[in-house]
Amino acid sequence: MTEMSSSIRMSTGTKIYLYVSLIIIAAVVVVPLLTTALGGFKTLGDLRTNPFGLPVDWQWTNYTDILFGERYWRQMMNSLIIAVLTVTLTISVSAMAAFTFAHVRFFGSNFLLNYFLIGLMFPAATAILPLFIRIRDLGLLNTYWGVVLPQVAFGLGMSILLFRNYFRNLPEELFQAAFVDGCGYIRFFWHVSLPLSRPIIATVGIVSFVSSWNSYILPLIMLNSEAMYPWPLGIMVYRGEFGTEWQLVLAFITVTILPTIIVFFLAQKHIIAGLTAGAVKS
Amino acid sequence: MASVTLSNIKKSYGSLGVIHGVSLSMEDGEFIALVGPSGCGKSTLLRMIAGLEEITDGDVSIGGKVVNELTPRERNIAMVFQSYALYPHMTVAENMGFNLRLSGEPKPAIAERVAEAARMLDLTDLLDRKPAQLSGGQRQRVAMGRAIVRNPAVFLFDEPLSNLDAKLRVQMRSEIKTLHQKVKTTSIYVTHDQIEAMTLADRVVVLNQGRVEQQGTPMELYRKPANLFVAAFIGSPAMNILDGTVEADGGEPAARLGDGTAVRISADRKVKPGQRIKVGLRPEHLSPGAGRGALAGQTLLVEPTGAQTHVVFDLAGQAVTAVVDGEYPARYGVRFQASIAAEQVHVFDRESGIAL
Repeated sequence: MTEMSSSIRMSTGTKIYLYVSLIIIAAVVVVPLLTTALGGFKTLGDLRTNPFGLPVDWQWTNYTDILFGERYWRQMMNSLIIAVLTVTLTISVSAMAAFTFAHVRFFGSNFLLNYFLIGLMFPAATAILPLFIRIRDLGLLNTYWGVVLPQVAFGLGMSILLFRNYFRNLPEELFQAAFVDGCGYIRFFWHVSLPLSRPIIATVGIVSFVSSWNSYILPLIMLNSEAMYPWPLGIMVYRGEFGTEWQLVLAFITVTILPTIIVFFLAQKHIIAGLTAGAVKS
Repeated sequence: MASVTLSNIKKSYGSLGVIHGVSLSMEDGEFIALVGPSGCGKSTLLRMIAGLEEITDGDVSIGGKVVNELTPRERNIAMVFQSYALYPHMTVAENMGFNLRLSGEPKPAIAERVAEAARMLDLTDLLDRKPAQLSGGQRQRVAMGRAIVRNPAVFLFDEPLSNLDAKLRVQMRSEIKTLHQKVKTTSIYVTHDQIEAMTLADRVVVLNQGRVEQQGTPMELYRKPANLFVAAFIGSPAMNILDGTVEADGGEPAARLGDGTAVRISADRKVKPGQRIKVGLRPEHLSPGAGRGALAGQTLLVEPTGAQTHVVFDLAGQAVTAVVDGEYPARYGVRFQASIAAEQVHVFDRESGIAL
């Protein structure tokens, strides 16, 4: 693929068109992020008169007040606990389910797979009332599990699909060799499939981490104590308190999205590899 | 080590039959090659022996015990795959010791047996490498090491050299033969390459469309092919096959070809005058030179290979190949003459293809 791309010679016009397009697309993505981050360094007056420029007077205290306050770290911890539980459960459950769908033929397997995949069509918001009732009946309201379990359930469709495609693309002879070596399904899953699935584990992990990190509606419905709030609800409360001081709200948003950006950059190679796995025969 | 017996093995996928009652007996320590064209069922047969494919009917016995219901592990077989099938995330040593690890062998015992197999296959310096850091030949040696480290009753090879280049294939072929001579484990080797089958095996089984066409030592198959299929399949370059009609030529039987050329055939062939036959001439049995009963025609192609030259000439409207000495001055377009001893002319019934 790399060889092929490098062998394609482009004319100067095409190159200019390509670079201009990429710069525009990058700007669309980067400008709001930069505006938010820089806005956090401004005074309110500066923000109103100069929303897109560099701060006239850098207000570091906007950030330090948040970072040295207890609220930010508490919400960060809540978000982290919910995200880590969601990611761990999503990977464990979907990897095992996907392995079964990829390798074991049993009565109703196709129906069951389609049943899981139907979940792709419905966002959690469409089922929020029955979800609330079920979580309430389980006694999980205002607990981390009340948010984690629905998040895992709604993430299963996509995760199972990604894992299943990956497992199916592992060479059949590898499975046979392991079978001859003495593996059954469980040992093959544990000793061979899973260690070879790091790219797809990273992909599913990041996708469910980011989705959990940004989740707003589920925590809003399931959590009612401010001490349990993850950061999207935290921003809402923060905005309620500092609604007129936009520079503080922007600083708060910046420090809350920073972890996801860092995680994404660290794992972007794996994410792209995982999403395109099996697209071409290697 | 163990003997392997196949009793009337059948395999079908739904209504499609692919193996039609194959029976074979392989002795303890024997090296058997299953050879045939693509789709003849040789790999399916091997996978049924391995326990990777269900048997529709018949029995597979290893060491005198029917193993139809046993897992590959319980059958105590080891298999070498065409694509090596090494675990990419494990080192060479881990790959080789994986089956011992699964069976709960203590670590020092695993290390000792891996080291012994590595010494035998010249892999000692590569034990800490991952498969991606190895060449094709080295990977295939690791795959063989993984097989021998467990000391199985039977080795199964599924076209293990097909992914290698020609030079490496020849080298690995001799390594497999040397290995078998050392360990003397019963080995079943599947290949579509008849040279590989001939050079490696004690006995060759030729398969076609899920049936055994013939089995025997390589030289038996070469000298006395049972039918046209085996005759055309065994030998390189392939046997020349021409249509002819039996005539009595001065008391000796001969085959009259389409252009009137007579090819003398051995008196002990079971032919009768007027019988429509196929005549088989091995290219290496055609000796250049004029003489009584010489076969002649215009040279169509000259292919020097070094020690030998392949001369393709026209005989009775058909391209016939002769293998001559590399020094022979063959030239395109000139008349080429060759003779063949009557005993070396193969004769087959034109309808049934059976050797006469």
